[in-house]
Amino acid sequence: MAVSLLSCLASRAPAPVFAAIGPGWQAAVERLLARTGLRGALTPRDAGILLVAGEMPDNTAEALNRVHDQLPRPRAILRWTRSHETVDDIAARIGASWRNLGAIDEQDLLPDQPPNEWKCVGPHGQGGKGMMGGTPYGRPMAMTGEDIRDGLQLDRYTARIGPFAPMLPPGLVLEVTLQGDVIVAATVQHQPFAQPADVDAPELCAARMLRLLGLGGPARRAVRGGRPGGLWVRGAVPRGLGMIEGAGDARDRLAAFLRGDSPVVAAFDLPGLLPGLEWSEAMLVLASVPPSAVLRAASLPEDA
Amino acid sequence: MQTLIILLGWTVLAWLVVRASQPPADATAPQSAPFLGGGTAGTHAWQRYHFRPYTMTLLFIAFEMEMMFMYPWAVVFVSEGIVALAEMGMFLAILSVGILYGWREGVFRWQ
Repeated sequence: MAVSLLSCLASRAPAPVFAAIGPGWQAAVERLLARTGLRGALTPRDAGILLVAGEMPDNTAEALNRVHDQLPRPRAILRWTRSHETVDDIAARIGASWRNLGAIDEQDLLPDQPPNEWKCVGPHGQGGKGMMGGTPYGRPMAMTGEDIRDGLQLDRYTARIGPFAPMLPPGLVLEVTLQGDVIVAATVQHQPFAQPADVDAPELCAARMLRLLGLGGPARRAVRGGRPGGLWVRGAVPRGLGMIEGAGDARDRLAAFLRGDSPVVAAFDLPGLLPGLEWSEAMLVLASVPPSAVLRAASLPEDA
Repeated sequence: MQTLIILLGWTVLAWLVVRASQPPADATAPQSAPFLGGGTAGTHAWQRYHFRPYTMTLLFIAFEMEMMFMYPWAVVFVSEGIVALAEMGMFLAILSVGILYGWREGVFRWQ
């Protein structure tokens, strides 16, 4: 009886949902996550429910499995693929599965093994290049390279930030090389998913930037169509960040979104804009550009 | 007795903090991997990086040590008289060498 009282109280908390957004579903999912009763989790470890919206292309299946396995148990998967199911219906489904979490045991989709075994030069796993010998678990240690800001030598970390990262446009796979948190190289490995035009709505774009600035409450109010509130939110964006010809900097674009305008952003060089920026600045710059412009910029190298 | 309670309390608190900061024992291999939105890492994340607060730390330590020694000095200053003033002046001159070094290196330049 005490357990059911506890679960009763726990189920009143907002349901933490990690949304894996597929082609065509970004606007709907962002409006869903602004509702009361559920909150968008920033990482799968913070979430109890994985919402898979839309039909995912096959080449993202493994990435989706990785995200699924990172949710701690008990967890639930919900698929939102039929467009006639409204936002209210899916919110009700999320609430129901949050209250009954643990009823279905979701098994892991990937084997419980590290991606590569420990692999070095010698027969017993020893040896290797430099002061950090070997390649533990198949991945090398980060080796030094020149820092682009001041010419020192610092370690470079390379990773592919995948299709379901909440701070990137859904579907965008960016292979970044970082020194600390400064991006020194970025290449697009998979374009963002195609989305309909309603994803460029100024309130959604403003909400994306406000969420990155840590202003979750103003972001929700913006998505619902009201004023975000808060004291001079434009001041939270540094001046001169993400300058694009014809479209100003990130602060100008946020001001335009908050006014209700959709600035027209011409083609820009996405892999050229990011190096030299810190990670938080780079994410702000990506969020300040309407998603259709990011899609166009990310497809350009393939046409060239 | 009071000391013992306080010591035990801090020990328990430290133990709880260590336990809370460890990954859960039943974490599977995919759960131990970093979250990259479904992507994979190319290198390990154990890397050297810039210590960005260096300039602030330099200034902070200089002024903090100065403040720390001025607290007890201020208590006895009036009774000790001009000698105490001269000694504190010498101490501040030594500290100001550090501030001057920072100034010449550009720590006060806003970037």
